[in-house]
Amino acid sequence: MPASRAPRVPVEERLFSLVLALLATETGLTKTEILSTVQGYRQRWTQGDNAALERQFERDKDDIRELGVPLETIEEPGDTGNNQNLRYRIPRGAYELPDDIAFSSEETALLTLAAMVWREGTLSGESRRALLKLRSLGGTAPVPELDYAPRIRSRDAAFEPLQTALDRRLVVRFDYLKPGDDAPRARRVVPYALVQFQGRWLCSAIDPETDGWRTFLLSRIVSPVAVTAETATVPPDATAERALADLEALWEAQIAVVRADPASDAETRLLKRRGTVRRLDGALTVHWSDRHLLADELASFGPEVEAVSPPEIRALVVARLAALVADHRGTADSEASRG
Amino acid sequence: MAERAPALQAQDKLAFLLSLVPYLMDRGSVSIAEAAAHFKVPVAQIKRAVELIAVSGIPGETTQYQHGDLFDIAWDDFEQNGVIVLTNMVAIDDSPRFSAREAAAMIAGLQYLSSLPENADRAAIATLMSKLSRGASSAPSQVAVENAPTNDLLALVERAVEAGVQLEFDYAGVRGQVERRRVDPLRVESLDADWYLRGYDHLREAVRTFRLDRIAAPAVSDQPISFTASDVVLPEKLFEGSPDDVVVTVEIDTAASSFLADYAPDDIEGAGTSRTRLHLRVNQFGSLARLISGLPGRPVVIAPASARDAVSDWVSRASHRYGEDELFSVDGGLD
Repeated sequence: MPASRAPRVPVEERLFSLVLALLATETGLTKTEILSTVQGYRQRWTQGDNAALERQFERDKDDIRELGVPLETIEEPGDTGNNQNLRYRIPRGAYELPDDIAFSSEETALLTLAAMVWREGTLSGESRRALLKLRSLGGTAPVPELDYAPRIRSRDAAFEPLQTALDRRLVVRFDYLKPGDDAPRARRVVPYALVQFQGRWLCSAIDPETDGWRTFLLSRIVSPVAVTAETATVPPDATAERALADLEALWEAQIAVVRADPASDAETRLLKRRGTVRRLDGALTVHWSDRHLLADELASFGPEVEAVSPPEIRALVVARLAALVADHRGTADSEASRG
Repeated sequence: MAERAPALQAQDKLAFLLSLVPYLMDRGSVSIAEAAAHFKVPVAQIKRAVELIAVSGIPGETTQYQHGDLFDIAWDDFEQNGVIVLTNMVAIDDSPRFSAREAAAMIAGLQYLSSLPENADRAAIATLMSKLSRGASSAPSQVAVENAPTNDLLALVERAVEAGVQLEFDYAGVRGQVERRRVDPLRVESLDADWYLRGYDHLREAVRTFRLDRIAAPAVSDQPISFTASDVVLPEKLFEGSPDDVVVTVEIDTAASSFLADYAPDDIEGAGTSRTRLHLRVNQFGSLARLISGLPGRPVVIAPASARDAVSDWVSRASHRYGEDELFSVDGGLD
């Protein structure tokens, strides 16, 4: 019977039926058993060629696993390598939330807010589904007196492919443009963490050629990120926690001295920057992780600040200002387009 | 790729079914309206899901989906009283685990909120994060957000809200003048590293948005508030356009043009191979000069001349703080 004449079963009904069938089986079901008996497949199963239905099953398995459902494959003992005899099942213990995990109403409130953080980001689907599972537990959260609307954006187009690569330990390729360089450089690395530090997304990665540990600002990736099929191993200590700790250490260690006009916007904001200290002579010591980012920030304060030291920060600010002065002298003409 | 798009929606629907069943089992009997409110979904979505659950099940011994192999509900209660009661359960006993990415999204979200006074108890947050890790079907993805120290200003805002009094503080506007403002706090919003307080400003007699890092000398006043969050419908966007906005043309490296996305450029045109021209609406040139001088990608204001002059004046005055011959080349930074 052609597929078009089979009664139409909604996709979610087929997926739901598959999960139920695989949860209910101890020993697992073969592919043929699944395709010939489970709702949504059985209507399209024939005695002859089921290639299209088998491809459907492969996609469904991926979709289900993406939801965190541990769909596992068991090989028949003594019959390895025979695909037809593979058995599929969802082990209950790995599927169900452990009994001892419960969330108090305060925790539920915090998690609801944590999920809200991603409503515009790449992880919006994930956080929405995490909330469903949280609500599945029946707990309710008190309505907070102050309305919070926190938001993380992962606007950088590189975020999604980098996360896919880091979840699957795959090598990626992209062009990276360092400020001050004339042209981007092609990079080939294994990402191991995506971290947000001081409001910016960074990717920590290992260069498989040199085993060097690198940190890339997503905003400086100027080409699409190509996820290769090449897998690579990373050391066990290559974690997001370590990536953040490395950035914290860098932030802690690097200091610049700036003078800010009293009561200026620059002074108010620099004083709120993490770790800023006012020296006895009134100058501020500010911390930083990247000299170009700091120079951009200091330049934005215009005449309200002077970068005193170190010399390379001062020089970067001066260079930025000089370029801005030159670019805005007189009336705009084609000179401005020289890029 | 096109065939994958509907599957995403089906994934959400599946996650909903797998979450709804344990909730219904746990509740025993619950009205459709209450279930809808709990999951924050329309009543119709609950109804459709329950109707699907009621006819779903496992192939069973006979592989024929016999009556006992299916879920069942008390149909009369459902159709006449709007109450859901599961009368036969199949296969599912408990809520599903989180996926690696779902757990990572929640953990990173908690890290991002670490400056909130509610999150001051770091041990409790660590426990919560480990519960998420243990409740995931595989190790959470390596996505993390920097931990921030508790923000004392937010604690003050919360105290003002609890007490129903105005918050007062010095605020340096972009024009540079500092004024004492008295505000009914309505909402705290954030965008990545930038946090904002939205509130009714008694000085301006209107709803205003304040950057938390521009607020100085904050204090809880003894003046009662005039408005609470439920009295005021806040505009969705943090910064609303105003009739006296000026359209400014900016040219910038195409690779850096996304930095201007917040300023809602209404049309975009190429300018050479690697440069892009954008039209932004700005309220006054002081903030434009700050924005332009801090952006990467060599932004240049093209028009109008008054906007160009404002930027020129800002950066010229800035460069006068430095000596004539200070230019030299440097290298470094993050990789």
